[in-house]
Amino acid sequence: MRRAMTLLLLLAVSGCTGPVRSFGVYESKAANTARKTASAVATAELAVQVATRDRTFGRTAAQTLAEAARDAGDTQGIFDAIQPPDRRSDQLRSQLDDLLQPAVSTLEDLRTAARRGDVESMARIAAPLEKLAGELQDFDEAHR
Amino acid sequence: MQAAGRVLDAGLKLLDRQLIDSQGMLAGKVDDLELTPSQDDPQRLYVTAILAGPGALAGRLGGRLGHLLERTANRLRDSPQDRPARVPFGVVKQLNSAVDLWVAKEELETDRLEQWARQTIIAKLPGAGDAPQ
Amino acid sequence: MKNLVQVALGVLTAIGGFVDIGDLVASTATGARFGLALAWVLAVGTIGIIIFAEMAGRVAAISGRPVFDLVRERLGAGMGLANLLASFFITLLTLAAEIGGVALAIELATSVNYLLWVPLVAIVIWVVVWRLPFETMDNTFGLVGLALVVFLLAIWRLHPDWHGLAHSALHPTVPQGEGHPTYWYFAIALLGSAMSPYEVFFFSSGAVEQRWTRQDLIINRTNVLIGFPLGALLALALMFTAAIVLQPQGVDPTHLSQTVLPVSLAFGKLGLALAIIGIFACTFGAALETCLSCGYTVAQYFGWQWGKFVKPTQAPRFHVVVLLSLLAGTLLVLTTIDPIQLTEYSIVLAAAALPLTYLPVLLVANDRDYMGDKANSGVSNLLASLYLVLLLVVSVATIPLLIVTKAGG
Repeated sequence: MRRAMTLLLLLAVSGCTGPVRSFGVYESKAANTARKTASAVATAELAVQVATRDRTFGRTAAQTLAEAARDAGDTQGIFDAIQPPDRRSDQLRSQLDDLLQPAVSTLEDLRTAARRGDVESMARIAAPLEKLAGELQDFDEAHR
Repeated sequence: MQAAGRVLDAGLKLLDRQLIDSQGMLAGKVDDLELTPSQDDPQRLYVTAILAGPGALAGRLGGRLGHLLERTANRLRDSPQDRPARVPFGVVKQLNSAVDLWVAKEELETDRLEQWARQTIIAKLPGAGDAPQ
Repeated sequence: MKNLVQVALGVLTAIGGFVDIGDLVASTATGARFGLALAWVLAVGTIGIIIFAEMAGRVAAISGRPVFDLVRERLGAGMGLANLLASFFITLLTLAAEIGGVALAIELATSVNYLLWVPLVAIVIWVVVWRLPFETMDNTFGLVGLALVVFLLAIWRLHPDWHGLAHSALHPTVPQGEGHPTYWYFAIALLGSAMSPYEVFFFSSGAVEQRWTRQDLIINRTNVLIGFPLGALLALALMFTAAIVLQPQGVDPTHLSQTVLPVSLAFGKLGLALAIIGIFACTFGAALETCLSCGYTVAQYFGWQWGKFVKPTQAPRFHVVVLLSLLAGTLLVLTTIDPIQLTEYSIVLAAAALPLTYLPVLLVANDRDYMGDKANSGVSNLLASLYLVLLLVVSVATIPLLIVTKAGG
């Protein structure tokens, strides 16, 4: 229910659920998406860092990772709901999706591991995150 | 009640002032004034009473907001009267930064909403009558 | 004349009670996105609230009446009502945000959904407002709020680049990737969080609750001149830690869990516990303050008996308003609106309404009828007037910037 409401609110604010008029606008939305996802990924990285070093409570780590996973999922959902206006945008979309998909699924795996208190797996699952964050940030900068 | 006959700028010195009763408790504000023409000279008006309460304020504010205020207040009072609560000027002891009264607020008409709130809600909650530390 | 312990208590309470959910969100978000480029706004806001809180406290001590009580006399019934409606609405929004903040703090510790905590939090808030004596309530949550000092200590533990930080604070620039309109939007939000209207209502009414007299003018000055800057230091610490840890990683904090990450890194579980306790205490304390302020503003406009210094049966309408406001705030949070977003809206709207709150303070503090020889000096008036001009500019710029930046997104 809350996810739906947040999604609705975010959609209303972003002002766009249908097609976007130009590549320029689509590009900036894509960049924004990359930036937000990079933030969630970086949050997860930090959370895993403190969890594996036993510098946080299990429940707090679980909460942090759950929120990061939710943010990434919501951001991806909003972006995917926007219809690309042209071919170039289409290509941009698949480029970004190649980054979003692994980000979202890794974060979801981390959320599950944290819920189970499985700290050992967390470091392993989080391994690709650093590279992903960098790629997302590069994407953001390139298309801002 | 003697006609005090003091001339003052009612707008600045009287309206919207705080009413304070004989116990030092707050008893509302001067929302409006009741003016009565003098016996000898109908051109002269005396302030014969202070009007207090949402009804009186509504009258002064006018417009839809005033109307709303008035209807809410009338609904909450148990008395069917439509006129605003009246504080006769005779009970006014002193006019300084606030308006000091000779009587306790319970004796005033303006206390009706307060009594309603007390009876229907507050008195039913535990500890309502406990003195503050 | 109160003794030294009481003075110290007042100062400590002022420090621990300074930060609320608005400061938390604004300072952390600003630090993460702009580093220390907006630290100067915190300084400006703190000086502003110091000037006006001192005035409000002085008014209460000399005249025995809080500022809002006198708004109607000064501005007239119509303007006073407009002021009341705006102030009440914003204070109610802030109350909802604080309730959300308390629930989020508990969620952070327990991982149990914050919505489940909201009704319990509301009930406890009401019980505390109903039963606890004013000073006990004020002091307890103010003192526990001092736990936030862990953020200040964390700065050292994180071994920051001091030169870089100092440079960024003293030579503010808009970072790459952020626009100028967004910079100013965040500046306004930060100012709104530092100078929140309810703080004036509460401080002013609180002075009457505690029966301040002429003798307490010194306490007033001490609390304000020592307590507030040190309290602002805690808010600044939030900005610092976000700038040191979150900004380099590109983290844009939209959850409390991100706010406390720097403390986890610096001090581990102990620090985290203190941070969560501190956040709980300061948001809970602010919830109490906003809840009472909803009652204060309405009761003081209509001239009803108000306050915790009388028996509840002697101020029934006041307590009814307090109860209804708490209910309304709780229901607003239960609509599942994001509490952090709600906080952002409350501080931005507060910024837009600042002149409404602060102009009456200046007017009343100059009134010799009430203030006698303690009316404002020429210097105070000059400073306060300059601030009012600033607040008017801020007020006018708020809504356009909100629209242009899409709420800082």
